[in-house]
This record gives sequence, C-alpha cells and structure tokens, in this order.
Amino acid sequence: MNKALSIRQNNRQYGLPNFRNLGTLLRILIISNTLALLQSLIMSNSWMDVAQHMMQINTLLTPVLFSSLLLLWSAQSWLNRFSYPRGALLVTSLVIAVSVSIYYLGGELYRPPEQLDNFFDLVRCGLLSAVVCGLLLLYFRLRSRILSRALSDARLQVLRARIRPHFLFNTINAVLGIVRAQPKQAEAALEDMADLFRMAMSDVQDLVPLGREIQLSKQYLALEQLRMGDRLRVDWQIRDVSEDVLIPPLLLQPLLENAVYHGIEPLTEGGSISITLSRSGDQLHLVVENPCPLCADLSHQGNRIALRNIRERLDLLFDVEASYQVECGKDFYRVEIVFPYVSRIKERLQP
Amino acid sequence: MNEIELALRVFIVDDEPPARNRLRDLLNDCSEQLALELVGEAGNGREALDKLADTAADVVLLDIRMPQMDGIELAQHLNKLPKPPVVIFTTAYDAYAIKAFDLRVIDYLLKPIRLGRLFEALNRARVAVPVQTEMLRELLPDPRKNLSIHERGKIHLIPIEEVLYLRAELKYITVRTAEREYLIEESLNALEKEFAMRFARIHRNCLIAKDAIAGFEKGGDEGESGWLVKLKGLDELLAISRRQQHIVKDFSRA
Repeated sequence: MNKALSIRQNNRQYGLPNFRNLGTLLRILIISNTLALLQSLIMSNSWMDVAQHMMQINTLLTPVLFSSLLLLWSAQSWLNRFSYPRGALLVTSLVIAVSVSIYYLGGELYRPPEQLDNFFDLVRCGLLSAVVCGLLLLYFRLRSRILSRALSDARLQVLRARIRPHFLFNTINAVLGIVRAQPKQAEAALEDMADLFRMAMSDVQDLVPLGREIQLSKQYLALEQLRMGDRLRVDWQIRDVSEDVLIPPLLLQPLLENAVYHGIEPLTEGGSISITLSRSGDQLHLVVENPCPLCADLSHQGNRIALRNIRERLDLLFDVEASYQVECGKDFYRVEIVFPYVSRIKERLQP
Repeated sequence: MNEIELALRVFIVDDEPPARNRLRDLLNDCSEQLALELVGEAGNGREALDKLADTAADVVLLDIRMPQMDGIELAQHLNKLPKPPVVIFTTAYDAYAIKAFDLRVIDYLLKPIRLGRLFEALNRARVAVPVQTEMLRELLPDPRKNLSIHERGKIHLIPIEEVLYLRAELKYITVRTAEREYLIEESLNALEKEFAMRFARIHRNCLIAKDAIAGFEKGGDEGESGWLVKLKGLDELLAISRRQQHIVKDFSRA
C-alpha cells in the first residue's frame, strides 16, 4: 500500500514542463533552432546556402515558436490540471494549430502563389511541428526523471545523516542524560527526533511550504542545542517572506547540519549560525553563515555530497533561475542560495 | 584500611553537559554497590588538566571527540601526572578508535552508556594500569596539538604552533618558544615523525619550525664555515649541519 502510494507520488513529478521558467524557454529556443540548422545543413551545398535556408526556415519557425510559447505561457495553470498524457496531447495540438494557421495565413510569404492550395504543404507543416514538439516534450520528461532521482537521493542522504551514528547515539545519550532531571524536556526531544526521522523517510515532494522546513530546522537545532547548550547560538532573520512560500524540501536543514558539524562543534566557546531569508522582487534569498575554524575540513566527503545534491536539485528544478554561491573566508563559511519566489500551489514548478 | 581510602575517585571529561549528567546519574547508581567518589568534571581538555593537577583521581571517564583537544591527546598529557589515572574512553561512534582499542585491549564505553558496562569497567579499573603513552600515540592518526610538560605538580600545555625549535640535549629535549624554554622527555626522532609537516631537521640534534624561518646567514664558529638559520622572534642563530645544507636551497626557492 505504502509502496503504491509513493510510486503514484513519484509519477506526479513527471509533469509538463514549466513554460514560465526562463530556462525552459531558452532550452526550447535553442533546441528548435539547432534542429533548423541541421535541416539547413542537409539541404545545402555551400555555406551561403546554409545561411539562406536558415533564414527561410526562421521566417516560419520564429513566429510559430513565439506565438506557441506565449500561448503555453498563459495556459500553464490550465494545462497543469490535466494528467500528463492529456496535457502533452493538448500541448502538441496547440503547437500544430498555431503552426498550421501561421503557415496558412502567411500565404505567399511561405509558398509560391501556384502552390497556395496545396493540401500536402499544410499537412507537412503540421506533421513537422508535431515531431519537434514531441521531441521537446520527451527531452523535458527525461530531465524531470533525473530530477526525481536527485530528490530521492537527497532524502536518502538526510536519512543517512540522521542515522549518522555521531548524531543518533549522541542525541540518545543526551536524552538519557536529562530524562531524570527534566523529563518534560526529554519528551520534547524524543518528539523532535521522531519528526526529523519522519521527514527523512517521507514521500518525495518537489516543493514544500517554507514554514514546514523552518519548523523542522528548528527542531533539529533544538536537539543539537540540547547537547551543546550555549555553545550553539542561532540567529534567524526572516524579512518579507511568507511562511507559505514554496521551497524545495530538505534544502535548509542539511545546510544547518553542515554548519553545526563543521562550524560549531570544533569550537570550545561555540559560535553563532545566522540564517537569513529575504525577498527581493521575484527572488527568495537564503543565506546560511557560520564560523569555520577549519575551513580545510570542508573538503569532508559527506559535506561535499550534501552540497552537490542541493546544487543539482536547484539546477533541475529552477534551471537558470536559481543561483548558488559558497564563500569560504578565513574564519567563516557562507552559503547563499537564490531561487524564484513561488507563492501559490498552482504555479508549482514542473520543468 | 577504612572505607574512604577504598573509594574509587572518578573524574568526568565531556564537552556535552547532558552527557556529563548521564554519567553522574549512572555513577550514582553504581555507588550503591561500589565505593565511588566523583571528584570533579570538566568540559574540555585544558580544564581537565588544571583540575586534575589539584585533585587526584583514580579513573577518568574521557570523551574522545571534543573541540580543540581530543580525548586521546588528553590521555597522553594525563600520563605526565605523578600518579596517572586509569582512562576509560567514552564515544558515540568512532570507527577508527574503536578498532584500535579492540586491538590493544583498551577499555572504552559506547554511548548511550549502559549501567552494567560502566559498572564492569569501573571494577576492572581498580586493578588496571594506565595505558602506555606510546600506545596512545599509535591510536592517534593526527599529530598532537600541544606538547605537555610536568612542572611543579602542574601540567603545562605548549601549543605546537608556538614552538620555534626542538633541540636534543643529553636526556632531554629543549622546547623553545618566543617566551621561554621548556624541557621534555621525548625522542627527537619520534617528534620529527609526528610533526613532519611542521618541523624540518637542520642538525642531528635539532628540528626547527618551518613557519618560523626568517632567513639564512653564512657563517659559523670554530673555523667550521656553513649556514646558520635565523628564526622569527629569536636572536639566537642555529647551525645547519653539512648534511642538511640542502634546506637553505629548498627554502630560498620556496
């Protein structure tokens, strides 16, 4: 039962591409123009020929591309309501309709006057656009498959980190240490631990509300604070950011785990981790900064894997609209992630 | 013998307060069947050395992973005390150390610590002898962060980055910092091996800190002409032996 559920949820991810994403648009433009170039190469005998054919193809391709993308851009939320096969069919029909009508209306621009009534030409145009559109959809579908694998990798990784003996046994030992003197606090700690494990074992989702991620991060930090006491200080700065904004899951918490393990634990006096969430226009900025006594240690394998996974997921999810920067100073370490501010479920991203 | 003398004096070192709490609770439970006395606790290595210089302990329960100075290094420094305590290591997980302990039959407790295991370990500790310093050194893949000397009942820690040179003299080794000299009883060859990254040999009896090299001078006493090295923050010039002359070239190039 459980397995069936998770398979279904996985499928949900292989949705239509997000036509409102800059990266998706760029990819579509580049791929279709590359196909056009290939076509002109096949038809040509000289370099001049290639340029000429390319121009000829583009007189049709460019208007078709731009009007289709404009249509798809505005129809995105409507299209998202359908299952993937239906959605794909709708997108393809839309593209065929657009290209055939432009070809037809273009009249003499595309064909010599004596061929104006040629039925074959119209069919050929529709067929070609269907093929190109199909290829593009196939490409995006493969891409999202890779994304879903990266997501389950992330989940596995967090799970592994949770079960990382260092964290698990030290936390249990700490809970045992306070259970006699402060039973209430011990109860709360065990509850936090259960939540953290649950999150790591839960089904894959592409985006979750920020509030949930913040809450889990706070539970994680509370557990670490139980062990380290005053040595671990946390400074949350949340500016103009709603808790309902959607972010990729397990983005913040692994960053904090790195900050604690590499930044705070090696310091006798401890230190402060600052987490800043802010909004500028359509972008959400997430900054985690911590002291870093041994920056050389950051080549630590586990650390690198976690960071690489976050970067990979951001790439797949937001394409060129996300950026990721690491700054490693003499005694501090700073990660800054910028990605689109997604505020409504309807706009759920499906690259 | 009265009962007070029999009581096993226990000291706890762990950087996490709840972990110390846990040990305190368990020692309390053990004390019903075993004469015990908790003589103190510390949150880091330096504090532990200070306190243990004043309060003698028979057994130290020592966490391995601690900031700044890990438990294995601390155990080596503790061995310099007039009556070194028996160390029982505690660790949540440290695959490398555990394997090494098993090989050398060194006692350790796994966190979360069980009452029964602690009880056994304390019982054994009554008759146990401290783990040899050499054996502890084998456990540690990284070089120590401090050298320690025993002086007037106290253990002094000399951070390794403050050491300018180490020179063997008869039985002892002179440890020179910018402020003063200390004497330690260790082998120069072992030190050279342990701190190969930090020190370079310039003479059969002398290692200098590579970071501290200020420059080289031609000269020499008693007709023996050769190179001398000047160290930062020190007026003294140290002679480089004929066999180690290549150092001058290596460092002028770098």
